[in-house]
Amino acid sequence: MTQQNELVTLDPRGASMHRSEGIAVRPATLDGKVIGLLSNNKPNSELLLRDVADLIEAEYAVKRVIAANKGSHRIPAPAEIIAELADKCDVVIAATAE
Amino acid sequence: MSQTTSLTSARIRHSDYDAAQEYYMSEGIGDGLPVVPPTPEKVEAMLAGAGLRAADVIAEERVRGVVFTAEKVAVNAVMAGCKPEYMPVVAAAAEAVCEEPFNFHANSTSTNGVGVLVVVSGPIAKRIGINSGAVAMGHGFRANATIGRALGLIKINLYGSVPYDMDKSTFGHPGKYSFCFAEDDAAIPWEPLRVEKGYAESDSSVTVFAANSPVQVNTQNESAPEDFLSIVGDASVVLGERHSEFLLTLSPELMGYIRAAGWSKSQVKQFVWERGIRTGADLNEKHRRISLYRGDDLHKRIPVVASVEQITLVGAGGAAGPFASLTGAWGDVISITKRIRE
Repeated sequence: MTQQNELVTLDPRGASMHRSEGIAVRPATLDGKVIGLLSNNKPNSELLLRDVADLIEAEYAVKRVIAANKGSHRIPAPAEIIAELADKCDVVIAATAE
Repeated sequence: MSQTTSLTSARIRHSDYDAAQEYYMSEGIGDGLPVVPPTPEKVEAMLAGAGLRAADVIAEERVRGVVFTAEKVAVNAVMAGCKPEYMPVVAAAAEAVCEEPFNFHANSTSTNGVGVLVVVSGPIAKRIGINSGAVAMGHGFRANATIGRALGLIKINLYGSVPYDMDKSTFGHPGKYSFCFAEDDAAIPWEPLRVEKGYAESDSSVTVFAANSPVQVNTQNESAPEDFLSIVGDASVVLGERHSEFLLTLSPELMGYIRAAGWSKSQVKQFVWERGIRTGADLNEKHRRISLYRGDDLHKRIPVVASVEQITLVGAGGAAGPFASLTGAWGDVISITKRIRE
């Protein structure tokens, strides 16, 4: 290797400016908790979420289940849906299912 | 050499030219083809081509929080093989893909597998040699090949849409390597795309589409607009009725028939849009939707795109050939047009 042939180039890659917030603290139990279900509107996502909610309700005395649908898998959930779930729920489960 | 101090990208040292090529082809940071090694000198020259400084922010994409600096856009433009005089087009297109209705994040991840189609309208096309004639959507012209490729590389490298990682295209298509052409001002019998989008005739614009593979439609030598546009409208049904928009490109031969018949741009779009409408029952029975539509939807009239405004109509291609081209877009995407700053 000769220094004469050495080539210096630039990295073309970018990086996200978003910071990772880490995983939210998990509740010790779902008893007495409000569970949110967020569907992305894929054909079977609400069915899947309902089944998951049924399993949870069979095992825990949850306070309430709130179901929401963000309308399309192709766009981020509208801010008002996120705000409502954040305000009312202890736990939110999202799902996609074709 | 003394001009390279403003560049902040990480510098990579290679033992020689071949080692650099291997790096860009093996590290998952390219499109699989050899590149022009993005040396600091070449990147500086690329920036100068658009009068940009390295730290200038061309756009910020909100969903992934990626800042498109002029430097990173220029690095990718160099890799693609662009000349510095192409940089204003690449920069405008990079700005356009970050505009929210383009939905860059979603269309860069989806199984639909779209690429970025760049359509240039205006005097810059001739000046820098963007082909609008024969083989406009194909090979053979450096400006078309490298501007389109630059957008592909920006999507992969700068934005992170790497196959198997973020890019989950079921098939993808060849246009993901490069897809760029110019509107043929001389052949179109109506106002050019840039004027339709609100810019001056003397301006140049770039329009980006989240483009699926183009579908070529042979209109069978019919010369009456209502005949050949019926073929085009019927063909549009194959795009599927869940797309948010499509691009219709007509060849000069077809545009000549339209000019002779005196049809306006909006008449052409309206005719094609209406011709593509089917009932839910029709779609089930004749277009293999099987049982997608039920109940009231069986009698509902369902267009390919929700409104006629969601069809973009341009003219390009070689002088001979009764062909139209349909390019479907990924759902929930709106193509974006930007003025090219020269």
